[in-house]
Amino acid sequence: MPLLNLTVNGRAVAVAAEPQTLLLELLRGPLALTGTHQGCDTAQCGACTVLLDGASVKACSVLAMQAQGRNVTTIEGLAQADGTLHPLQEAFIACHGLQCGFCTPGMVMTAACLLKLQPQPSEADIVQALEGNLCRCTGYVNIVAAVQRAAQATSEVGA
Amino acid sequence: MSVVLAPARFGSGQAVRRVEDPALVQGLGRFTDDVAPNDALFIKFVRSAHAHGTLLRVDAEAARAMPGVLAVYTGADLVAAGVKPLPAAAGFKQGNGVAMDPPPKHALGVGVVRCVGECVAAVVATSREAARAAADAVGVDIEPLPCVVSATAAVLPGAVQVWPGAPGNVLAQMHQGDAAATEAAFQQATCRVTLDVVNQRLAPSTMEPRSVLAYMDGQRLTMRLSSQMPTGVRAGLVATLPGQTLDSIRVLVGDVGGGFGMKTALYPEDVVIAFAALQLQRPVKWQAERLEDFLTAVHGRDLVSRAELALDACGKVLGLRVHSLANVGACPTGAGVAIQLLIGPWVSTSVYDIPAASVTVKAVLTHTAATGAYRGAGRPEAIYTIERLLDQAARELNIDPAELRRRNLVRPEQMPYRNAMTQVYDSGNFESMLNQGLALGDWAGYAARQAASSAAGRLRGRSVTTFLEWTGGNALEESVAVRVTADGYVELTSATMAMGQGIATSYVQLAVDVLGLPPERIRILQGDTDRANGFGSAGSRSLFTGGAAMRAAAVATVNHAKDLAAQALEAPAGDIDYAAGRFQVVGTDLGIGLFDLAARQSAGVITAQAGAKASAPTWPNACHVCEVEVDAATGSVEIVSYASVNDIGRVVSPAIVRGQVEGGAVQGIGQALCERIAYDAESGQLLSASYMDYALPNVDGFRAFKTVFDESVPCLTNSLGAKGVGELGTIGATPAVVNAVVDALVSAGVADAAKVQMPLTPETIWRALQGDFGAPVFV
Repeated sequence: MPLLNLTVNGRAVAVAAEPQTLLLELLRGPLALTGTHQGCDTAQCGACTVLLDGASVKACSVLAMQAQGRNVTTIEGLAQADGTLHPLQEAFIACHGLQCGFCTPGMVMTAACLLKLQPQPSEADIVQALEGNLCRCTGYVNIVAAVQRAAQATSEVGA
Repeated sequence: MSVVLAPARFGSGQAVRRVEDPALVQGLGRFTDDVAPNDALFIKFVRSAHAHGTLLRVDAEAARAMPGVLAVYTGADLVAAGVKPLPAAAGFKQGNGVAMDPPPKHALGVGVVRCVGECVAAVVATSREAARAAADAVGVDIEPLPCVVSATAAVLPGAVQVWPGAPGNVLAQMHQGDAAATEAAFQQATCRVTLDVVNQRLAPSTMEPRSVLAYMDGQRLTMRLSSQMPTGVRAGLVATLPGQTLDSIRVLVGDVGGGFGMKTALYPEDVVIAFAALQLQRPVKWQAERLEDFLTAVHGRDLVSRAELALDACGKVLGLRVHSLANVGACPTGAGVAIQLLIGPWVSTSVYDIPAASVTVKAVLTHTAATGAYRGAGRPEAIYTIERLLDQAARELNIDPAELRRRNLVRPEQMPYRNAMTQVYDSGNFESMLNQGLALGDWAGYAARQAASSAAGRLRGRSVTTFLEWTGGNALEESVAVRVTADGYVELTSATMAMGQGIATSYVQLAVDVLGLPPERIRILQGDTDRANGFGSAGSRSLFTGGAAMRAAAVATVNHAKDLAAQALEAPAGDIDYAAGRFQVVGTDLGIGLFDLAARQSAGVITAQAGAKASAPTWPNACHVCEVEVDAATGSVEIVSYASVNDIGRVVSPAIVRGQVEGGAVQGIGQALCERIAYDAESGQLLSASYMDYALPNVDGFRAFKTVFDESVPCLTNSLGAKGVGELGTIGATPAVVNAVVDALVSAGVADAAKVQMPLTPETIWRALQGDFGAPVFV
């Protein structure tokens, strides 16, 4: 089995993986990062979204090998080391942006990528960013509101 | 009650942060698939590629020899091992009065396959990859037979027969109401409206697919799975697996990634996984691929109806008559049959005072997946039907649809009101809901908005939907066990089940009301059949049954602990007050904390138990007002406003119930506009088997809901005064959207606009604008 070296949530990781192993399988299996969820197998639900070198990707559609030498951030790596939640995590709680929580890690990671690229997104920007993420519980109402709130909170901190 | 209720910042009625959320937003939830013992085996199911066929041979030899494979099971293997078919649907009769006779539901197919995706073998291996490779090596020889996938086709003379026990493919039928009185009403009516309506088949589509981990804990089988009904799963396993008893099986449920009714049934896959764990004495793991959930998780709806309404010249409804065919699949679930034959018809007259009604439903077998509970479960179908009829009647009588509804609403002074299906409503002020809904949706100001749409080249339509629904599953009793621990926690254990709806938060709020403790001192324990057993969570029952029990148990705890405090403080219990976690002898500084009191008990805990029983189901009701715009060039529909006023009785968690109504409405909008499970009529293949082909509502849909709750009419049949909320939004949204679109089509001069059938995709609407409504519903 080839050895894979990558950085996951800021930590260097060396792990053996089969060539056909998906990044999603690597994260959930050997790395035990189960916050990244498998919802559809066909890259449509977005529950498995993580950041690869800062860009959101669906981990079900990326081979583990493609992460060689790169930086992966999962939902577990979003809060600060002291436990302080990321503004998006805080906003999802404050806005009731989740119900069952299964899609939430993917929503948050997709939004994290958006806010990095576009700290003050319009509602249309948010909708466009989240189009690859499905939620069956919330009707998206409070998800969009949560991203807006997080953007606002971030700008206030930065100001 | 001798306990003073202190208003608390985290108490009921307050918008609070959910106790579930900190873990979930950090990816620290514990969904079933997140649990992976080191020695876990993986199971892969081999499924029928044919909708109907004779299972000639399942050859497992090659697969058994493949690397990593520990076992391959076939239907014959399970039968030989004494595994029984899953509990069959029961309780209904055929047209001749004989008890219905459904086909046996084997965990793995035996003899004949009757649905694409039916499991015919299972491979257990040391990795997912090995199981998948070996599953491909299982030889399955099926001689295909002709199939039938729709109820209307299945009841035609000469149709392919699904099962000998259902002659003409009719498994069971049921009539409710008074046929003769209804016929008399139609005879004297001056206006008769007839509509054929289709409630298409839907996929509940929880974002977390079905997921199971079975393992041995000593001699006992532990079944960890994503379920709304752990106790029912345990009973089902005892009924199917040889040598198992209620004591030998423990069912555990962690975080559940959505339920919506889909996770109420015992599935064939569950039985096979449990069997494999018992056989191999190793953990066995499975999470359904999305394709597998589309294939064999229960579907919802699938009811076609010919519905008729009789009215007098003033628009007073005299009678309602509905004949329906319910497609319940090949091997139906008990819930799938009961929902259509029994439960849906209960609300067929809705909030309207309709003196005579007659509803006849036939459960029809087809070569499709079984239907079962899906959010609303029978009530969406019935409410959609009556609301479509009322709008059509309003057009024919040239009466404003809001006014027509007003003339027919059950009035508050008629409560308790017994409807024509003999169901009794305890409370409701439906005209007040109507008035509030019309105001919130600015019904009176419509003309200007319609003119603006028209000026922009778009067709506008509107609707008003007044409705109610039945909640509680007729499982109206719950109990809660309490442990107050010396280390400072109050643990409350319930047999109801969290599935993402936030019920633990609502329970904590109710406990805070009584105990006056910070919420972090309170723990809600669910999902363990070694701790609590009951009906589980479905039918919007958990708050008004389980929540009432929470409060009763918290009160019982304080009362019991007060006696213990009296002993500890050597004072009469009558002189002791309780507040905020502390007992105090009135007028002194003598007191003791609840947790210190627990520490002084010999066991180090204070225990209590109490229950609550509602005397009847609850009848949440609402008025939803919707406006849409239609692009005539493309047929696309855009919802432009949606206002709802909802009576769910007393509100415990404002943010949660708003999320339930609005998120639920989006599911109802999904039925109206985009979702449909489709089978190919010839081959029986599932055409909508991924999210590419099955359109779930997406983030770019409507989100600007105006949602109001009117708490002025508490439920009278449970101690909380609460009414169920989980399904209300879904039930109202479907007719609200469709009626608004029909109104837009009518305003565009489309004759027969009411013939349009869901989902209202751009193609469907574009065709309707050309006068093309497709084939008639009934041949």
